[in-house]
Amino acid sequence: MNSVNFNINFGYLEGLCRGFKGGILKQTDYINLVQCEILEDLKLHLQSTDYGSFLANEPSPLSVSVIDDKLKEKLVIEFQHMRIHSVEPLSTFLDFITYGYMIDNIILLITGTLHQRDIRELIPKCHPLGSFEQMEAIHIANTPAELYNAVLVDTPLAPYFMDCISEQDLDEMNIEIIRNTLYKAYLEDFYKFCSTIGGSTTEVMCEALAFEADRRAFIITINSFGTELTKDDRAKLYPRCGKLHPDGLAKLAQADEYEQVKVVADYYGEYKPLFDGAGTGPGEKTLEDRFFEKEVKIMMSAFMQQFHFGVFYAYLKLKEQECRNIIWISECVAQKHKAKIDSYIPIF
Amino acid sequence: MGSLFRSEKVTLCQLFLQSEAAYNCVSELGEIGLVQFRDLNPDVNAFQRKFVNEVRRCDEMERKLRFLEKEIKKDEIPMLDTGDNPEAPQPREMIDLEATFEKLENEMKEVNANAEALKRNFLELTELKHILRKTQVFFEEAASNGPMTEESVNLLSDEGLTQGGQQALRLGFVAGVILRERIPAFERMLWRACRGNVFLRRAEIEIPLEDPVTGDQVNKSVFIIFFQGEQLKQRVKKICEGFRATLYPCPETQAERREMAIGVMTRIEDLNTVLSQTQDHRHRVLVAAAKNIKVWFNKVRKIKAIYHTLNMFNLDVTQKCLISECWCPVDDLDRIQAALRRGTERSGSSVPSILNRMTTKQEPPTYNKTNKLTGAFQGLIDAYGVATYREVNPAPFAIITFPFLFAIMFGDTGHGIIMFLFGLWMVVKEKSLGASKSDNEIWNTFFGGRYLIMMMGLFSIYTGLIYNDIFSKSMNIFGSSWNADIAYPGDMGNNVEKLMLAKTYRLNPNSTNWSKEPYPFGMDPVRLGAMSQSTFGL
Repeated sequence: MNSVNFNINFGYLEGLCRGFKGGILKQTDYINLVQCEILEDLKLHLQSTDYGSFLANEPSPLSVSVIDDKLKEKLVIEFQHMRIHSVEPLSTFLDFITYGYMIDNIILLITGTLHQRDIRELIPKCHPLGSFEQMEAIHIANTPAELYNAVLVDTPLAPYFMDCISEQDLDEMNIEIIRNTLYKAYLEDFYKFCSTIGGSTTEVMCEALAFEADRRAFIITINSFGTELTKDDRAKLYPRCGKLHPDGLAKLAQADEYEQVKVVADYYGEYKPLFDGAGTGPGEKTLEDRFFEKEVKIMMSAFMQQFHFGVFYAYLKLKEQECRNIIWISECVAQKHKAKIDSYIPIF
Repeated sequence: MGSLFRSEKVTLCQLFLQSEAAYNCVSELGEIGLVQFRDLNPDVNAFQRKFVNEVRRCDEMERKLRFLEKEIKKDEIPMLDTGDNPEAPQPREMIDLEATFEKLENEMKEVNANAEALKRNFLELTELKHILRKTQVFFEEAASNGPMTEESVNLLSDEGLTQGGQQALRLGFVAGVILRERIPAFERMLWRACRGNVFLRRAEIEIPLEDPVTGDQVNKSVFIIFFQGEQLKQRVKKICEGFRATLYPCPETQAERREMAIGVMTRIEDLNTVLSQTQDHRHRVLVAAAKNIKVWFNKVRKIKAIYHTLNMFNLDVTQKCLISECWCPVDDLDRIQAALRRGTERSGSSVPSILNRMTTKQEPPTYNKTNKLTGAFQGLIDAYGVATYREVNPAPFAIITFPFLFAIMFGDTGHGIIMFLFGLWMVVKEKSLGASKSDNEIWNTFFGGRYLIMMMGLFSIYTGLIYNDIFSKSMNIFGSSWNADIAYPGDMGNNVEKLMLAKTYRLNPNSTNWSKEPYPFGMDPVRLGAMSQSTFGL
């Protein structure tokens, strides 16, 4: 896996990916989009971008959910095209990316079933990149053990279940724990896989995954304040492939309030500026927004190197951020409440 | 060809159009195609321009037309394309067009919804028919394997005996249909979830069934699951739901099954008739629409183009007239004035439109007037780069030099004749071939360059004669000027026996012993005898 032989198998797909990246909306596009008065204006402007006539066959009047669906559909088509044309080890890499969405889908379906929703209502809400064959039969399971034995043992997520079979029943609290345990196992597995690939992929992906792990550690800590989650349980949910491992994670496990989390972040040069000035006041950005900004920056720098798989991961994340931006602007336009319309995260 | 030597003289003009007359004038100017408009609103967003609502309405109309076109293509109805050029309709006719399209679209949607409901019904009945047929086999097998089932029933009843008394235990069952691709995962999930306490039999349905939503042909299989107890039944049902298997009530006794089968057959017959009638109605609606759909597409595109052009205009302070700047060729100013007059008359406006020539320091665009012969060569030159304004145009030179240089490299009379005939055929059949409007890119490239191909063939015939190369062989018309007497001194030249035995023989070009007259036209055919034709020939 070196730069000399990379193009034989992956050159076409990397070129395609960079072409897609070139079509990501620029700052001028966003300036035009925030000036729209109605959703049809948005559609008209998006026609002149890489999105083209993706909304052309939708009858007016448009709604934000239609725009959301179509944006996602376009992204899914692009990703699946790349997945279908890839060979090992790129195909395993792209599959790993989809496991995250699979975990989200499973949790969504279980939560919906708990609330007595019909399975057919829930299936359209699942993310298309994370769908797998047995997905629709999830509702037969009442405990994690059953879930594992019946449904998940054939999926690629089976090895991640080792840690959560011990839970007794599926209820609100435990579902979140299951989600985070699964995600932790998945992230660490992905990290290990990227390390074995070597070359620039390891450099780029390990940095991206380390940031993701640390972000999750911070968010889990902050969200668990005021809930029944014990500190030991919380410590078990932290992914260990980030920069915070082991000292930062140990300190985070002991934290009781936001200030203490901030103190932990101050030890790390990358995370200190994110916590400074973050807040929910009128002129400040929230912590989540700052994390998104940092993610965008890391993803953009992934494109600075060539001959590695990180471009695919980065492209997917950037496109998702763009979708979030467009939906945010559409919501502001649709509700005619443009006060916070500039809170999108600019990419270019 | 005098005008092709340099590009046309082009001048900047200002156009003052009264608001009512603007649409018709732009329509007439569009028909003659001699004007290039400049965008006077470059920094205005697309959705803030004056006529953006009309453009949106055109987009809506195009969407409806695309929907109709898709339906027509699905039914494989040929769309009539007469190739005539309908005029852009007036703005008030746009409302009529919109109403027509809306009505057609609603009708189609209704028919489609009805057809889908009927097809769904039909699918259910067909699946039920297959179930009844196949389960017959399963139950027969279960009956014939009498001892075995007795045994299995006895095992179960032993358990029952230990739990709750002497009850005759009966196996419950559900029957249904599932997509064939899902069967392995389905079986596996059933086995796992029910801990192996259910019994599945399945059989494939041979003919593919039509999915009502997508219209694709899918392969399905019939399955029947035997289980015992209410809990297992619930679980089995949930799994079936999860795998999108449709369950059908299947009666237990053979007599009931036969009755049901007969009932199903009659219902299928009835549904078939209704379905065919619905399809006929749909077909009729689409055929009527197919006659006009190309014309409608052209009309809508023209309206959209006119409004796009109008968006480039500037609205005067008095709000009474539209101002635009455009580039016009000087020689055609009369035609443009005539078009403006026509447009103003058609709109019924009293105020004439004004075309005002302006002087400017900007460089006008390059405009070359071409006809069908010169168009291909001009296109060839423009592919390398468009000449600047009033520069010498390489195209008229290229008409001769390009085919000639091609011929020098091609140089075969035989293949040249074939090429010439091919080009000639395309040129002679120009009208009929041009009207067929093929989608094939390669054919369109050839057809667009038919004059080019014809000339390349013609010149190749000439160079082929000079190279004396017809289908890679030489013609010996005048007799070769070389003979075997021309030899090296001291060689076996005059010794015929030795000559016959020699494998190769080298002719001396500097010999004085030759006919003193070279071959009259082209290369001497002796080259064919040479061992290495490439070094000798060319």
